[in-house]
Amino acid sequence: MSEPVQDHYETARQCIGLEERIFLGTVTALHFQRFAQASGDLNPLYFDREYAREAGYEDVVAPPIFLTGVLGWEAGPSEESLRQDGLSDSDTAFIKLPGARLMGGGQEIEYLTPLRDGDQVTVWRKVVDVERHQSTSGDLLLMKLEKRYYNQHGDPLVICRETMIVR
Amino acid sequence: MIADQLYFEEVEPGAAIAPLVKRPTNVQLFRYSAATWNAHRIHYDKEYARVEGYDDILVQSHLHGCFLVQMVMDWAGPRARLVRFSWQNRRMALPGDQLTCTGLVTGKYQADGICYVECRLEERNQRGETCAPGTAVIALPSVTARDGK
Repeated sequence: MSEPVQDHYETARQCIGLEERIFLGTVTALHFQRFAQASGDLNPLYFDREYAREAGYEDVVAPPIFLTGVLGWEAGPSEESLRQDGLSDSDTAFIKLPGARLMGGGQEIEYLTPLRDGDQVTVWRKVVDVERHQSTSGDLLLMKLEKRYYNQHGDPLVICRETMIVR
Repeated sequence: MIADQLYFEEVEPGAAIAPLVKRPTNVQLFRYSAATWNAHRIHYDKEYARVEGYDDILVQSHLHGCFLVQMVMDWAGPRARLVRFSWQNRRMALPGDQLTCTGLVTGKYQADGICYVECRLEERNQRGETCAPGTAVIALPSVTARDGK
């Protein structure tokens, strides 16, 4: 295993079991409708209240993939505090991996309650595991995170098990 | 006018999901990064992407998943509910690549009065290489609900 990857492995292993609670704030229809536009998914369930009601919802709903796709929820960070690659430490679950090349590896998502306009969302994020992996393009780490999202009523919205690839 | 709805009784294992073809552009990647507040330079800064060893800016890993979900839910109709979904990023994609999402029904069952359909999904590029395999479980309405008993 190459030296930087070994260093990242040791740093990330230290963080297994760490858990944090983050208040994501109020999600608005505008936010998830912009996401839907950007992803090219113009399902009327996200835009048209009457249509959504006809389909059994109380109001427009967010695209199912929206919640686990948003990286940052706060106003910051400042440009000066970003890593060279543009990411922030929050994006890597506060595991500081200087110089590491990062990439999403996929998600396993359970859907429990639809996300609606005006929901106030809190996420619990936990570092579950860090594995070494040999790929054709070299050594890498697979960082496994678990994210549980709740609305303001304490209803679980989504449980997401995410893999982050670190090289 | 509500879109076509798929019903549990109409689906059998082996049935194909209506494919979805996507050709992501620089503008799409920029807007996706903006809407997700993702400042990762590999998605909009070609020179930086080259520093990390890529030929061009990269389609966001999450956007691959997004395309697969879109295919499933477009096919299933507005009264379908997504219960579980997963995908894995196996291969990178660049703006201009043609990404074709396909899927197959692998199973169906009922539990606690809910009708579930399981699917296997795949997103391939124009060379036929798999970028993202995935799975989905959806809940579909039954025709008995449609026919009012």
